[in-house]
Amino acid sequence: MNNEYLPKRAVIEGIRDETFDVKTFTLRLKDKAGALKYKPGQFMILSLPGYGEAPFTFSSCPAKDGRFQISVKKIGSLTQAMHELGKNDAVGVRGPYGNSFPLDEMKNKDILFVAGGIGMAPLRSAIQHVFKNRKDYGKVEIIYGARTPQDMVYKEEIETWRNVPDTDIQLTVDMPDNAWGGACGVVCVLFPKIKLSPKNTITILCGPPVMIKFAIKDILKLGFKERSIYASLERYMKCGIGKCGHCYIKGKYVCVDGPNFSYAQMKELGVES
Amino acid sequence: MKKMFITRDNLAALVKGLKNACDEFIAPKKGHLDDIIFEDTKAGGGELLEYDGNSIVSPRAFLLPQTEPLFEIKSAKASVFLPIRDNKERIFYGVRPCDIKALVIMRSFFLGEPVDGPYKDRLERSTFIALACGKSCSNNAFCCEMGAGPAAKEGFDLQLTAIKRGYIVDIGSNKGSRIVKGNKRLFSRPTPADEKEASQALKRLARGAKRIEYKKLAGIMKEDKVKESVWKDIGLRCVMCSGCITLCPTCSCFSVADRLNGDKGIRMRYCDGCPYAGFTRMAGGSAPFPRHQDHIRRFFEHKLNVDVERYGTPSCVGCARCIETCPGNISIKKVIDTILVENE
Repeated sequence: MNNEYLPKRAVIEGIRDETFDVKTFTLRLKDKAGALKYKPGQFMILSLPGYGEAPFTFSSCPAKDGRFQISVKKIGSLTQAMHELGKNDAVGVRGPYGNSFPLDEMKNKDILFVAGGIGMAPLRSAIQHVFKNRKDYGKVEIIYGARTPQDMVYKEEIETWRNVPDTDIQLTVDMPDNAWGGACGVVCVLFPKIKLSPKNTITILCGPPVMIKFAIKDILKLGFKERSIYASLERYMKCGIGKCGHCYIKGKYVCVDGPNFSYAQMKELGVES
Repeated sequence: MKKMFITRDNLAALVKGLKNACDEFIAPKKGHLDDIIFEDTKAGGGELLEYDGNSIVSPRAFLLPQTEPLFEIKSAKASVFLPIRDNKERIFYGVRPCDIKALVIMRSFFLGEPVDGPYKDRLERSTFIALACGKSCSNNAFCCEMGAGPAAKEGFDLQLTAIKRGYIVDIGSNKGSRIVKGNKRLFSRPTPADEKEASQALKRLARGAKRIEYKKLAGIMKEDKVKESVWKDIGLRCVMCSGCITLCPTCSCFSVADRLNGDKGIRMRYCDGCPYAGFTRMAGGSAPFPRHQDHIRRFFEHKLNVDVERYGTPSCVGCARCIETCPGNISIKKVIDTILVENE
């Protein structure tokens, strides 16, 4: 029997504290011959025996050595337990599941990334991929908003992105501190600064549902087309293969048909985020 | 389809032989409340070769159990997992045509890519002997209106239709054919009069049943033309007891949980479903569908619209188990009728 539910063993090779409640884990399959062959935007399901399973989008772009990263925000029982783990501890993983970001469609186009909070994790995988293949893509603009400066993930890495050619980065926080030099407010406050032309741009959003809902509305007002805007949807899920039913929306399963949907598709499904 | 004949005595002999050839013989038995319950009668016996009505719980429970282990956790700390395999050969006897149709839909769902291994394993080791209906099983059932009764068209290995001197036997698969060939002396050819008697009995039962225009119904739902008041009314009645999704022969949603005893244990899955508010709620509390009426609405849209698009047939088979168990008096039949009448 081929039991898709049986996880593979993976080992934690590195842990990095991103914020007070987000850690990035570097994982590799115990069986080093096997690797999860994934594309940016896809996700995997992490098993923590005793706590069950939860889906996480890969936060790093695929690497030759089979290492991959996920960034985990402490929010429920499984993620809290995950935060207690240390280097060399084992977990279960299975996947990859779902569709990727529209990587082919993005080629030779300008790309606008809009991230809110931990929503930066899936986008980081795509951003790393784009920078790795820089000549295949046009200009890149990254708009990232977080609650406070302390809630921003990948701070040092983001600073290095500023040095990549044809790349513009705008940051904002809801609640600034004295040291904050960037913008203040939700991501939408940065939209007037978008320099990319709506004609030749693919927009990729990931963040809390309320951000996605309002950010898409504002991006549409700037003249961007419904089919050129993609959002990564977040749903509760238990299987990753379209069987358990949790992530179902109007006959589609976010785990199989998504998690990345164009705004045109989202409208057909009757969801705003 | 090839038809055979078997007498009541020979059927009893056939069942005796089949019971020896399988690990579990899932058959109807009289429950202590005088109702029908499917259970494994291989050891205990007491199966009914013929019965009126249908079982309280559908045979789904043996293929997608209320809880089942998905695999063994050999060490939680070290994340070591071992597969578990259900190798049991099961024969299902006396399954009603509505439940056979449900199994056809469940097969398409669970065996469609990506395949659900545990379900496939069980299904492929199962034999289904259907028993066509001789009487209407309840005032609420509407299988004939849904095209799921009184006899199954496909999805069985053998199907029995009772006549005065025994049963007409339809052979529906190679598995069924092998059973007949292996027990040749128990079967004979039906006479034309036998066949006529069986077909007339089935026709009599289906007489007057007005086929539900399920394609029209699906179209109305797809275009979102169902009045909000219908869903609101259902939302107010539903008490989240989950009776409907537990008894429905085509409900398939589940959740997963670990059961550990020290460092060892199992990961199990258990039936779960859309009426529960927590079914779509995520860690942190965010819920994409906060209104209760939208949870339960999904039950109807999935069965009456989405599966029509996906499989060409609604996945409600009209067994009426959900209607009879609902403490809030929700009737899928009345919902269907209301939607069709309001959109005439």
